[in-house]
Amino acid sequence: MAISPPFDQVVIEPARRPALAVVWEFARRRPLGAIGAVIIVVMLAVATLASVIAPYDPLAIDFGGMLASPSSAHWLGTDSFGRDVLSRLIYGSRTALLVGFGASLVGAIVGAVLGVASAYFGGRIDLYLQRVMDIFLSFPLIILALALVAILGNSIPNLILAITVPMIPRCALVIRSSALSIREMPYVDAARAAGFRHRRIILRHMLPNVMAPFLIMVTAFVGQAILLESSLSFLGLGVQEPIPAWGLMLSGAAVEFAERAPWMAIFPGLAISLSVFAFNLFGDSLRDALDPRLRTQ
Amino acid sequence: MSKFLIKRLLLTLPTLFGVALVTFLLIRVIPGDVVELRYSGDRGAVSQEVLDQERHRIGLDQPVWRQFLTWIGGVVRLDFGTSMWTGAPITEEIKLRFALSLQVAIMATIVAVLLAIPLGVLAALKQDTWVDYAVRLFSIAGLAMPSFWLGIVFILFLLVVVKWLPPMVYTPLWVNPKENLAQLIWPALAVGYRYSAVATRMTRSAMLEVLREDYIRTARAKGLMQKLILSRHALKNAMLPVMTVVAIEFAFLIGGLVVTEQVFNLNGIGLLFVQAVAHRDYTLLQALVMLVASMFILANFVMDIAYAWLDPRIRYR
Repeated sequence: MAISPPFDQVVIEPARRPALAVVWEFARRRPLGAIGAVIIVVMLAVATLASVIAPYDPLAIDFGGMLASPSSAHWLGTDSFGRDVLSRLIYGSRTALLVGFGASLVGAIVGAVLGVASAYFGGRIDLYLQRVMDIFLSFPLIILALALVAILGNSIPNLILAITVPMIPRCALVIRSSALSIREMPYVDAARAAGFRHRRIILRHMLPNVMAPFLIMVTAFVGQAILLESSLSFLGLGVQEPIPAWGLMLSGAAVEFAERAPWMAIFPGLAISLSVFAFNLFGDSLRDALDPRLRTQ
Repeated sequence: MSKFLIKRLLLTLPTLFGVALVTFLLIRVIPGDVVELRYSGDRGAVSQEVLDQERHRIGLDQPVWRQFLTWIGGVVRLDFGTSMWTGAPITEEIKLRFALSLQVAIMATIVAVLLAIPLGVLAALKQDTWVDYAVRLFSIAGLAMPSFWLGIVFILFLLVVVKWLPPMVYTPLWVNPKENLAQLIWPALAVGYRYSAVATRMTRSAMLEVLREDYIRTARAKGLMQKLILSRHALKNAMLPVMTVVAIEFAFLIGGLVVTEQVFNLNGIGLLFVQAVAHRDYTLLQALVMLVASMFILANFVMDIAYAWLDPRIRYR
């Protein structure tokens, strides 16, 4: 008698298409999303190759060349310390992407685990978790992040943590609602009947099936996290001088010298807007492609 | 209906209590306290005794649970105490600032609604045409631009092109409406654009969903004019989710303008919040967070009631 493998090892392979074909299909059907993806890839390249592309040292102070307007030597001009704006923008992309991806990944992972657990266990656990989420959802993002930065201090890892916390309940909420319908699926019942542990059912059967909303949340959060980081840095509560960060470049001198040196105020803002724009474009198209039901949100 | 109202209202109480508790504990974890900060300028010239006396005077030497009970006891009677930094009653500290933040929030809402509803409806009607793409790009751009940067750009534009600067000192609306509006319209526009982006996207998707409903097809089939179908059948039904988004964004605007207020030199709730954190002014911070959170909880409450009232399919129990 042939022994059939246990339930969870029976894998029905979806018809695999070459990755390139999938990418091409996405680009053809969703041109806006493709534009977003291209900008993101360029940003990632710029951030990794910052030391190669940047024309100047982003920290090099030159009091002789303060507030120089854009020229062939300094394409985007210099700031009130004579530092090259373009080089600072290039290095600033590292900060933005680090905080953006760091906060959104951690926030979405913790949120997803909480959301799935909440939906899976139901009953009391679900009720209490939801109440706690409600409490954290009642604080505006920036207020909670501000309080956390004040508690933790403003190193970059702390900044990531402060931005992560307000994202967790927002992600948990969305993931919970998709997990609720998955819990009713026959294969979850089967897994339970087969006597699997909770941990295994949650990690191996439920989590993989909320991948679509999870990916959507991650991309949506990267843009949000970049915005939040730049707001905190602008207030002087985020990234500290002399680390190049876009929000920080907009604070203080940029406003003070706005009339004399408008490039100081305009380019960092454009960099923030363009990157958040790219993540939103890509995230929107990804959402439409992966999960048409989520279109309303 | 009244039973549903009371039940729903009672349900907000545990959340409010939770917010109070979290706020209370969270701000006490911030290193340093108001007494230390106030005397830090004297560089150790103040003896420990004076510091202890001052802590005793404002009740910071009490165990945390007793401080919490005293404070909650006051909040229940709507008495928020006095500011630990200035000594003035909290209600006095907040009153004028709240009026300012509320006015900006209301103006931003007007800007947002005036932009969002026509644009959202237009995009839904012309789905997948260049109009739709343009509206979507416009709203995604609105979500991407930080409103404080947009504020800087506005100021720069006025300064360089129009050679005029909006007034930088706040005048209440009832004192001089013209001065007041000349100052507050810019932050309202900067914030309103972002806010309209959220609402436009919601209007568009809600309209798309409603336009696919059977009753719209019926209305078309019986030969109703497009205008009437839109105004009487589609828009009315699509407005509920849009109202929710508008209400929630509005609630968050009251406290969430921290950065925009900084740019426009507005002395509102957000700026007060940053100052309160800097001064470790526990009583003021607690009151501010409670204010902002209850605005949000109130907005949710009002929307739940509005849903039950406007949508006959929702049974209130």
